[in-house]
Amino acid sequence: MADEALSFQFATPVQQREAVTLGMWAFLATEVLFFGALIAAYFNYRIWFGAEFVAAAQMTKVVLGTTNTAVLLTSSACMAMAVTSFEAGSRRRPTLWLLATAVLGLAFIAIKGFEYSLEYGEHLVPALNFDLARHGGVAEIFFMFYFCATGLHALHLLIGIALVTWLAIWIGTGRINRGGSTTRLIGLYWHFVDVVWIFLFPLIYLAGRNG
Amino acid sequence: MSAGTILRCWLALMVLLALTTALAFVPLGTANLFVSLGIAAAKALLVLIVFMELKASSSLVRAAAAAGFFWLMIMIALTSADYTHRTDQRVPLDTVR
Repeated sequence: MADEALSFQFATPVQQREAVTLGMWAFLATEVLFFGALIAAYFNYRIWFGAEFVAAAQMTKVVLGTTNTAVLLTSSACMAMAVTSFEAGSRRRPTLWLLATAVLGLAFIAIKGFEYSLEYGEHLVPALNFDLARHGGVAEIFFMFYFCATGLHALHLLIGIALVTWLAIWIGTGRINRGGSTTRLIGLYWHFVDVVWIFLFPLIYLAGRNG
Repeated sequence: MSAGTILRCWLALMVLLALTTALAFVPLGTANLFVSLGIAAAKALLVLIVFMELKASSSLVRAAAAAGFFWLMIMIALTSADYTHRTDQRVPLDTVR
């Protein structure tokens, strides 16, 4: 990843900045379709199975889900603060904001893990211990979607936490200098993982609460 | 992107989160789905425009950002249209096992 140096294929820093941003968005567009396929499957299940599928969503833990959404949105604000303070030329402040971002990311994973353990206790994990007689086949499909979607999201978040921690160490020890794009690009990735969760949250946790 | 903008954006996101969670418990029938998706879209746009700096980006970057979502809409619309209009009888799930 480039830091302050201008790579040989670019004429100006502005051109380099625009090119790396565009490249990141091209990658994020593939991620939109990757998670989008899961969400398309969710809508088709919902059309196909109707009320039974929505009823299964009521078994998710809405308090934990809402808390986690707040944690992740706050982590994104910390990430934005890290990018802003880094571009303003500071070294200590972006390091601290990045550490706050990573800690909030870990808090999200911890809450998610606690939620998974509750679901395991309720025999809701397909292929591991799903209680078909108690919950029914449509609920199994819902929880298959739930574990695939939240599991892949958590994997993306873990990659994000690793990147943010690495970046905090590199900025903190002065190995990344002002003017580089690395911080902004990792920021884009982090916010994207947040956007995915913003759409998963109502589909998973808020469905079927109105009855 | 100033610290004040980030703070205001974060506050707006928190308000929208409280609103969507509260509205989910109000019986509105099918409208609940559209209300929650509408608020999700508003939250996503705040993150995309403010935090991901699309407001300050060139048209090329904005078009690239929009392209993924545009293609996703096509995928969801066409697959949903297929499943909504299928006339063959669905076999009850528990009889297949």
